Amino acid sequence: MPSITCPSCGAGLEASSAALPYSTCPYCQSLVLHSALGVEDMGKVAVLPFDMSPVQLGTRFRVEGQALTTLGRVRWGWSGGAWNEWLLESGDGAPLWLGEAMGLFMLTRERPELLGDPLVEAFARGEPIEPGHAILVDGTVQRATDVKTAQCLGSEGQLPFATLPGTQLVNADFRSRTGSALSLQKVGGAVSAWYGQWYELADLAPQGVRALDGWPLPAAFEGSRR
Amino acid sequence: MSAPHAPKAPRTLACPNCGGTLALEAAGLTVNLGCRYCGSLLDVSRPEVELIRKYNRARARFAIDLGQRGRLFGEDWAVIGAIKRKDQSDNWSEYLLYNPYVGYRWLVEYQGEWQFGTLLLDLPEGDDRAVTWRGERYTRQWSEQEAVTGTVTGEFYWRIANGDRARCLSFARGETVLSRESVEDEVTWTQLVPVEADEVRSAFAIDGRRMPRKPRPTPSSGFLRPAGMEADDLGPMLLVGLAAAILTLLVMVFIAGPVDRASSVIAAPYGMTREGIKVGSITVGRDHQFVRITARGREFDNRWVDLDYSLVDRASGQAVTGYGLVEHYSGRDSDGNWSEGNRRADTLLGGVARGTYDLYVDAGAHAWPVDLAVGPAPGWSLAEQIPVTITAEAGGLPWGNWITLLIFLFIPPGIIVWHRFRNS
Repeated sequence: MPSITCPSCGAGLEASSAALPYSTCPYCQSLVLHSALGVEDMGKVAVLPFDMSPVQLGTRFRVEGQALTTLGRVRWGWSGGAWNEWLLESGDGAPLWLGEAMGLFMLTRERPELLGDPLVEAFARGEPIEPGHAILVDGTVQRATDVKTAQCLGSEGQLPFATLPGTQLVNADFRSRTGSALSLQKVGGAVSAWYGQWYELADLAPQGVRALDGWPLPAAFEGSRR
Repeated sequence: MSAPHAPKAPRTLACPNCGGTLALEAAGLTVNLGCRYCGSLLDVSRPEVELIRKYNRARARFAIDLGQRGRLFGEDWAVIGAIKRKDQSDNWSEYLLYNPYVGYRWLVEYQGEWQFGTLLLDLPEGDDRAVTWRGERYTRQWSEQEAVTGTVTGEFYWRIANGDRARCLSFARGETVLSRESVEDEVTWTQLVPVEADEVRSAFAIDGRRMPRKPRPTPSSGFLRPAGMEADDLGPMLLVGLAAAILTLLVMVFIAGPVDRASSVIAAPYGMTREGIKVGSITVGRDHQFVRITARGREFDNRWVDLDYSLVDRASGQAVTGYGLVEHYSGRDSDGNWSEGNRRADTLLGGVARGTYDLYVDAGAHAWPVDLAVGPAPGWSLAEQIPVTITAEAGGLPWGNWITLLIFLFIPPGIIVWHRFRNS
């Protein structure tokens, strides 16, 4: 695995993928941009507030036969609370987002072809999405349930975009009757579409979950902490 | 260089209104927290705690304490939040359970019956009369109700407030219920399965006297209405008999009066329990008597006194025990002045056998919102005793006569029932 050195404090950082050019140094909180040209210190990232998430960098999942590894995390805050978005990578290098809210997990894969949808194009131009707006994905109607603007509260690991203080996310959540979900995200002008569904943690067959004081691993997870 | 942050749980924070120490079990997920001491509503989704609404309410009373851990359905749970809700006809309690590896669950308690709730990710399909979920059909139970949130205490993963309203519709199949709640456009489905009260009680180590009880069955739902006989005068006949029996009982109680009585004023110490205070002696003249113990506090406020009674038989040394609580709280919030609680408490000890008894009480007074808030310095403790007048009465009702009356009253309708039963 190719590695880089933090230009600020000299610590070794993992940088496994060209698709994830931003790494947060866990020692000095520097946001390090790496490319073929070298490494660059972009500034300091906010320290993540303490939380009880059972997921950590390196946690692995197995979903529909596919192995996924946790590489990064960004935490977003809005007027109604805050949530984690974990960046996962599958064996073939495709990124996935694992959104963590309400004690549940929304696993989504990128659907670039949805960017051609008129509603998504309008969203990219800066037009608002209202609750009730609909979009068709795989023959299922997805309706917008809430649209919110969130601020970056901190990050760790490797990520596809910069997470400096002040970074904003406009997020539009869509839900269908079948429980599948779509999320449109706009960070720094770039729009992406993510499609998937909600799971409980046990459904994702986690390995290497985080140890939490006072909480034994559930029986279904036995041997999965490493 | 510092090592990446190690988790420590649970975190605590101080209520910005009353200063009480509050646990934060679900850090990172909890959005709102209702202070268990003063009821103030806090936003804890950011590192800096924000006071959303200030209250100075009495400590909410729920069967299960916040922070209590228990094992149900093969998993460990912490009780992190509790709310009281009501609709037009009923009120019930809901407890939010949390396990960081499993997520959230609900415990719902209505009239001593408990249900375990799980949020559904695969949604039922159907209309307002029946829905299908995982291949099985569930039919609607009652008409849509509006549930209103009352007391809110502990942690919640959404913005919650006293007065929140949700439209609720439930569908049942056997003992399993699917409950649909709508708030504006947001719809959530919860699966509810029954749990035995004893299982909940032992899982969360609930003190038996705090367990909610089932209401007594009302006469109209039981023997008065055998199938097919709803519309004749057998029912009214039994009702009249019952009313006469009750009336007679009332008159008897009125005439009989107390046979023996003992009374004294005890001093309940603040912040500790004084054990074995003797109230007095009473003599019970017959077997199967009731002994009524009445506790009356004087002008105290924002305090409560726990009273544990032991009525000890001088001859055998055996004790009949009971519990009493006198309490009074007041304050001022955005709705104006409020006060609640009762400085008087009646406790009825049943099945007391004939004999001479000594009544002892263990008494302890507590301050609200927190015990430590008042006079920790020595010397204060004497001033902080709460005088409580305790009176025990052994009433001598002639139960035998009353039962004879009962038998005569119910012979005619009994014969009718017997005849119908034989003829059908």
